[in-house]
Amino acid sequence: MIFYSTVRIIKFAVQNIWRNLGLSFMTVTILIVTLLSFNVFIAMSAMTRHAVETVKDKIDASVYFAPAAADAQVQEVQEFLRTFPEVKELTLKTRDEALAQFREKHKNNPDVMASLDELEGNPFGPTLVITTHEPGQYETVLKALTTPDLQKIIEGKTFDNNEGFIQRLQLITRRVEQFVLGITALFLLIAFLIIFNTIRVAIYTQREEISIKKLVGATNWFIRAPFLLDGVAYTLVSVGVAVALVFGILGFVDEYIQAVFTASFSLIAYFRANSLIFVYEIAAVLFLTWLSSALAMRKYLRA
Amino acid sequence: MITLKGVSKVYPDGTVGLKNIHLRIEPGEFASMVGKSGSGKTTLAKLLIAEEHPSHGVIEVGGWDITRIRQRDVPLLRRQIGVIFQDFKLLSSRTVFENIAFALQVAGAPPAHIRTVVPQLLEIVNLKEKAHKYPVQLSGGEAQRVVIARALVHRPKVIVADEPTGNLDAINTEEIMDILRRINKFGTTILLITHNREIVNRLGKRVIVLEDGEVVSDVKHGKYRL
Repeated sequence: MIFYSTVRIIKFAVQNIWRNLGLSFMTVTILIVTLLSFNVFIAMSAMTRHAVETVKDKIDASVYFAPAAADAQVQEVQEFLRTFPEVKELTLKTRDEALAQFREKHKNNPDVMASLDELEGNPFGPTLVITTHEPGQYETVLKALTTPDLQKIIEGKTFDNNEGFIQRLQLITRRVEQFVLGITALFLLIAFLIIFNTIRVAIYTQREEISIKKLVGATNWFIRAPFLLDGVAYTLVSVGVAVALVFGILGFVDEYIQAVFTASFSLIAYFRANSLIFVYEIAAVLFLTWLSSALAMRKYLRA
Repeated sequence: MITLKGVSKVYPDGTVGLKNIHLRIEPGEFASMVGKSGSGKTTLAKLLIAEEHPSHGVIEVGGWDITRIRQRDVPLLRRQIGVIFQDFKLLSSRTVFENIAFALQVAGAPPAHIRTVVPQLLEIVNLKEKAHKYPVQLSGGEAQRVVIARALVHRPKVIVADEPTGNLDAINTEEIMDILRRINKFGTTILLITHNREIVNRLGKRVIVLEDGEVVSDVKHGKYRL
């Protein structure tokens, strides 16, 4: 009995869609547009996070020791800096490495090389490269190196402050994200109204059939289930098409995105690794379709 | 089979549909209910199929107290009461066979059962040759016979016929009454709600007269009197 009822419910659900093909098409279309705008939001968030991380990774501060600084003193500074929780990494460039790097950098400049050769011994001191967890933490760390004792052995400090750039980047992307989210919310509202209307029209066009179903003893579930099943169909088709479109569009633009960032960042790979997003989207759209269907049925299918 | 104890129906706008009705229709009985328009006949039919609920009193059908029937039990009640309406309530997009089968489909009947039962019912109402016609291709009498066949699909203990001959000519009316009499002979209780003086008088069965929502006459072998 359950089997036959289920088959008939599916048949009635298909009939509903077929009889209101225009509205069904519109419902699925608006759901696809909503899902696309939401996936644009997801992609933008992923790109922003990656961009900020990339810029952050390029920031570091260098502390140049005087050539006269003893290895023990340099070691002491290193130990001192390691006590800071803000410090993520410390890399020491020895005097020889500093010299080799300088030579490599200026090998095509005979004047510089000649000047260097005229000097006796290695004019460079060791260099300590500091990386902190957040760009804003460099100031604290570098300030700690301004004590008179340390000033004697430290010749200079350099720090390329990209924090302003990061903040601007985050601000712009936050604004764009807010705009995309607003558009998504608007599409969600439109989708809700269209689904509500589709089900309402379906119920209205079938009011005679529904009243006869009730008259001959159909259960409420038997009458309502086809409309709920329509919601499932709208959800699966819209998410399916949206996923296909997302991957289709990314197939074209991913290489350009990789060119802007680094080859290691791919939005296709991001969506594949986070495919649970689409499961959440199915759940969300199903909730939306069932909520609007339930409200339409409550209003127009009172027993 | 049908018992009403002190049943009243007052609509939200204050209109009184029925006033303190006490009535008992025995199993296998054929009772006619007559009365002017607005006397409460259709209200009573609606109460019996739980389309409306009484404001006061108790209603029992086949020993089942349906006064405060739960919404989920209404379909079960409607499978036990066959209902025939004046306006047929047939699906125009379905054939005669499909219209009758529809009542079995909504109850989850297997196709094999439908294929067995529907031809039997078509035989009873003498419409076998019209099985694949659409309602629009039928006469009023034929359409009403389809409705009777549909009302019989669940082998109901009671049939409530609300003006079943209201749209029919004399010949078709006689055909319908003949079918109802035959169904009654098999033991089904029939409550006929009608305006038709002739058929009530010819039946020579119990006649209940309603006036302004009250039973003003109830005679075992009565005539149509208003």
